[in-house]
Amino acid sequence: MASADRLAEVADADAPIIEMRGIKKSFGQVVALDGVDLTLEEGEVLALVGDNGSGKSTLIKTLVGVHQPDAGTISIRGEERTITSPKVAREYGISTVYQDLALVDTLSVAANMFLGRTPTKRVGIVRQVDWAQMNERAEEILRTRLNIEVDTTKEVEFLSGGERQAIAIGRALVTDPDIVIMDEPMSALSTDSKSKVRELVRSLNDEGITVLLISHSLDEVFSLTDRVTVLDNGRLVGTVETDRVSKDDIVQMIVAGEMPAGADG
Amino acid sequence: MIGASLFPTVGDSEERANQLILWLLDNIIWPIVLLAFVIFSVLLPGVFSSAQNIQFLLFSSAALGMLVLAESLCLLSGNFDLSIGSIAGFSAMFTALFLHEWFPGMPGEVGILVILLVGATIGLGNGVAIGYFGINPFLQTLAFFIIFRGAITILSSLSVAPLPGAYTFLGGSTIATIPGLGDLGPLSNVPVAILVLLALYAIAWYVLNYTRFGLAVYAVGGDATSAKEAGIPTERVIVAVFVISGALSALSGLLFTGYLRAATPTLARGDLFPAFAAAVIGGISLFGGRGDVKNAFGGLMLISMIQIGLVQLGVDAEQIQFVNGIVLLGAIYLYAIESRLRARVLSE
Ligand SMILES: Nc1ncnc2c1ncn2[C@@H]1O[C@H](COP(=O)(O)OP(=O)(O)O)[C@@H](O)[C@H]1O
Ligand SMILES: [Mg+2]
Repeated sequence: MASADRLAEVADADAPIIEMRGIKKSFGQVVALDGVDLTLEEGEVLALVGDNGSGKSTLIKTLVGVHQPDAGTISIRGEERTITSPKVAREYGISTVYQDLALVDTLSVAANMFLGRTPTKRVGIVRQVDWAQMNERAEEILRTRLNIEVDTTKEVEFLSGGERQAIAIGRALVTDPDIVIMDEPMSALSTDSKSKVRELVRSLNDEGITVLLISHSLDEVFSLTDRVTVLDNGRLVGTVETDRVSKDDIVQMIVAGEMPAGADG
Repeated sequence: MIGASLFPTVGDSEERANQLILWLLDNIIWPIVLLAFVIFSVLLPGVFSSAQNIQFLLFSSAALGMLVLAESLCLLSGNFDLSIGSIAGFSAMFTALFLHEWFPGMPGEVGILVILLVGATIGLGNGVAIGYFGINPFLQTLAFFIIFRGAITILSSLSVAPLPGAYTFLGGSTIATIPGLGDLGPLSNVPVAILVLLALYAIAWYVLNYTRFGLAVYAVGGDATSAKEAGIPTERVIVAVFVISGALSALSGLLFTGYLRAATPTLARGDLFPAFAAAVIGGISLFGGRGDVKNAFGGLMLISMIQIGLVQLGVDAEQIQFVNGIVLLGAIYLYAIESRLRARVLSE
């Protein structure tokens, strides 16, 4: 498997699976990230929290190659890497559920889930898109992992908000990732659907997949994650272990942008 | 299933009916083509629907058909290309001079390579400017439209002929002249250009529907930001689209040259509008990501039928433009209704 190969290359088995150091990113005059560090340990569920506009989405888009950092380094399993596109990130085993979902409305469910990694089959001398396999696998992933039945040949524009969110999550599971990043995956969901995604996060983690979860819900953060990294206004406030802090501590970190008294950093 | 799905789907019969209506509207061009054919056949009994006339219809649409295909591809990718007619004219004149004056005696096959290369190179210019430097496609291709139309008159103000038979073969010969084909009976008078026309639409349809590149074109046209986040190399897709558009425009120039048996300074001038109209009438969306080249072929057939039918009815050229304008307006309104209906279906 691809992931076994990736592990075999590792020089330093103790290095964090992802380590971002001193990441800076500006959009014109707007400084979105001002020297942020983020560490993701193999097998953990890490929460990334902070107010709207604090730079969470920009940080993960920089990690997966949608944006290039203005400064800073990204290491994967101890090796410094340049990630030039989401496709390259995927080759390193990183899948992303974007906050804006990144669905193409005019394409079918299956085409969206396999966008950029479309399965092909050989027909004579040409490699042809294997629509049948694509539809079947898309249907299977949605049914087994998210308990949702949709016609995968239907254009995404015909789907409800919750279904769209499920398609975007399902898409992240297509490539058997080592790391799944979810940017507010439950924001558009009903209470029932939210609990389904929580279950999914737990089962992914049980399978050894590392999860980075961006969330606004402290309930989610406390029920799902091992550690919490807090951003404030493009700066890193700090990272704490979830079971060593209270919700109030996290709120204080988000609002005041300061570490709580007595917490280890 | 154990328990209800947590993401309820609204798959009822009303939705199915709505989708059927949308599908019919997406493919509305074919009933219209059929209707136009019937009307002209009634108005021109024994003439319009003859095999010979249908052959002429296809033959005279071949060169324009390449421009329609070039424009459709650009539109599907969420861009557009105003320079297709100028590329056709410039590449045709450049290559005619290459064969006739600069390198006389050069085999016609080399000319075919040269013309496609010229078209593809100009397309590369468009693609790099638009894909990598973010230049607005309207402004970029408008500039090339003017530059290359002007460049033709710098090259030559006169028609260039004769040209090697191998060069004019695709545009001007019948399949009887294909060596080693034997006697094909009545089919031997079919122009090669018709085969080129049908083959290229078939290939384009296949590529757009059954290859990764085709899917990427639809994705970039549908939503470039999402496509990029999903890992599609959007810049490269746009460059490829314009390179292919340029090469197809050059192929149009080659077919026109064979049809006219000369490269003329006015070659493909004024063909941008009909090419655009055919694509839009065929349901290719101006906003990208929606449409099908087989329907663009229907748009081409409608435009060509109106042209030929009205000429045969003795209508003069200015009045034909008037009718074309009405047809285009009708198509625009029809697709506006379709997108409203789509919005209504979607908001339910
Ligand atoms: N593509 C972009 N262009 C310009 N500004 C952006 C872009 N993306 C994010 N920003 C700005 O960067 C800041 C951080 O945004 P974001 O990363 O989306 O925050 P969060 O996800 O924490 O809500 C905001 O001020 C936002 O307006
Ligand atoms: Mg965000």
